[in-house]
Amino acid sequence: MDTIVVALLNGLIYGLLLFMISSGLTLIFGMMGILNFAHASFYMLGAYLAFAATRIFGFWGGIVFGTLGVALIGLLCERTLLRHVRRHGHVQELLLTFGLSFAFEELVKVFFGPYAVSYPVPESLRFAAFSIGAVQYPFFRVLIGATAIAMFAAIFCLLRFTRIGLVVRAAVLNPDMVRALGYNVSAIFSGMFAVGAGLAGLAGAMGGAYYTTNPNMATELGVIVFVVVVVGGLGSLSGALIASLVIGVLVNAVVYVDTTFGDLLAKVGIVSAETARTLLNVPIANTAGVLPFLLMLLVLMIRPQGIAGDERV
Amino acid sequence: MSRIVLVLLGLVAAAALVALPAFGGLATLNLANKIMIAAVFALGFNLLWGQAGLPSFGHAAYYGVGTFATIYMMDAIDRGGAFPTPLLPLVGAGAGFLFGLVAGWFATVRSGVYFAMITVAIAELVSALAQKWEGLFGGEAGIRSIRTNWGPLDFQSTGSVYYLTLVWTLIVLLALYGLQRSPFGLVVRGIRERELRIRFLGYDAHRVKTVVFALSAAVSGLAGGLLAISDESASMVLFGGAGSAFVVLNTVIGGAGVFLGPVIGAALTTSFAYFGSSLSHFWPFYLGVVFVVTVLFAPEGIGGAILARWRRVRDGAGPLIGLGDLAGLAGAVLAMAGLVLLIELTGTICSEAYRAEIASLKGVWPPVRIFAISFAPLTPWPWLVGLVALIGGSRLALGAGRPILPRLFAGRPGPRADQTRPGESA
Repeated sequence: MDTIVVALLNGLIYGLLLFMISSGLTLIFGMMGILNFAHASFYMLGAYLAFAATRIFGFWGGIVFGTLGVALIGLLCERTLLRHVRRHGHVQELLLTFGLSFAFEELVKVFFGPYAVSYPVPESLRFAAFSIGAVQYPFFRVLIGATAIAMFAAIFCLLRFTRIGLVVRAAVLNPDMVRALGYNVSAIFSGMFAVGAGLAGLAGAMGGAYYTTNPNMATELGVIVFVVVVVGGLGSLSGALIASLVIGVLVNAVVYVDTTFGDLLAKVGIVSAETARTLLNVPIANTAGVLPFLLMLLVLMIRPQGIAGDERV
Repeated sequence: MSRIVLVLLGLVAAAALVALPAFGGLATLNLANKIMIAAVFALGFNLLWGQAGLPSFGHAAYYGVGTFATIYMMDAIDRGGAFPTPLLPLVGAGAGFLFGLVAGWFATVRSGVYFAMITVAIAELVSALAQKWEGLFGGEAGIRSIRTNWGPLDFQSTGSVYYLTLVWTLIVLLALYGLQRSPFGLVVRGIRERELRIRFLGYDAHRVKTVVFALSAAVSGLAGGLLAISDESASMVLFGGAGSAFVVLNTVIGGAGVFLGPVIGAALTTSFAYFGSSLSHFWPFYLGVVFVVTVLFAPEGIGGAILARWRRVRDGAGPLIGLGDLAGLAGAVLAMAGLVLLIELTGTICSEAYRAEIASLKGVWPPVRIFAISFAPLTPWPWLVGLVALIGGSRLALGAGRPILPRLFAGRPGPRADQTRPGESA
């Protein structure tokens, strides 16, 4: 029982971390029609910038530096590069961000080498928030989850209840009209791009400390984030939240299933016990990495626009 | 006239390719093999990207499936199976086709960016499977097999593998060229331009897209089969993101809109990887920069640039190479040299080995050697030289195409002072 609760909590918090990244991706897509391949690279850059700044500003300073630094990088990318190819269409933007993600990964290797760097959670934050049965639940995990929830609330309130949010939502629906009313739509878009990048940077600065900080982290997480936005529906914040949590919980829960595919199929009688022990000796727990993609294919078959997606897309 | 020139050029190229094993060393043949395999892979990718306009970012899956299928077939031949060795790439193609049929059906449910994401996810699914399923994919070590001779044909030397790869590359080139010019190719391009109209004409767009996807996967699988024959091994590394990334790089740098563009791109980047990897750890970064610059400033790629230049010369609208082009080329070289200097300096002083050297010299920073020139990293000069070369070179290169030299002498202000960029107002 305790392990199940812990697994669910782990999944929930992993899902919230996924949401921190996918929310920026889905917001940027909803507004500008850009699918940002480099978004997961912002997550990686956040972790590395925070790691580099920790030596100078300390852990919290590193997290702030990572967030703001990545927001600035995102702003620069949007204003100097993406803007330049917009007239060539969305696919060209896709190619550009794809190239950027490739270049960012290699750039990180130039500065920090091809292996993981040691960017740990500081001693002072390594204590248990609470305990479930015999399991001490680490405080930092709870902090990651709390940050994600606070962030969701902030974005939601910003978009829903403030004048800026009103203008942003209007600019998404009809940019020309908002421009005609005298608002600087291009500045609004740049600002939102920077905010989305900064969120990914924050997620990286916190997630990098808890999980690992290595040059592959962008590609590893990037594909899961893509799955999240496809399942949730591109452009939908609430869809991204639901999909993040579902995938987070699913991936973490399946690790605790203790049987192999061969056993399962042999019990039903499809394959012989011999095959089960050799060719199909794959523990179901190992499918944690595969499950999100299967879920995505399932969603594509029965609801192609995603959980909360717009049917017009 | 131009047609005769093209045919002659083709003949010369064919003769050079046939004669290569006579005067090229083993290393040259290996490189040529790699280039041809990358070219076939890129051609298959471009069937989907250039013709159907569907951006796949997960083509390594079909390439890898082709490689593994071929290895298993080679193993079967080795154990006495009766499959002819020269036709082995067809096994890869068949495996790629079948897998592409399934994957393509899913992926082409959506188009545009959704399609791109689905292809990434399918590739990742296969990659995750390959990592876990050691029984089939051989885990870290991968699986190996050997080439078996067939009848009078001997496949043990690198030269014989080269000829086999060459023949298959030419077959793929001809087949894809025929496909592109066939009525089916027209429908595929119609889907790229305006899918709705094609549907109104009575075509089942989803079915056509699925078939194109499967054909593209088949050619990729065939490339994978060629790799299996050449390497006699396959491992799960094939399914990694790098494979999918490089085929995109090859195609876009070479030019997706030109039939031979992917071949040009494959030849350039494969050679660059081959020679660059022995010179610097950071060669993929330079490749990434070249890719980003291509997307930003030359979306038609090298092939497109060559074609545009060829048309201009043919119409008598301009010389083959003008003064502005030379200035631009010089600028590009200068900018690249500056970038290489900066990156190599940074990369070296950030490396573990250099840190250890500082520690052993008790805090003295030893000079950094780049291409046999020593630089002192603590003085500002190498950094300044690199920055000036990078910025000055890119300014010069970006002015190329427009008459930059007269403007330099006339002392006019910056190039874009009087015009607004179209992107601003969009």
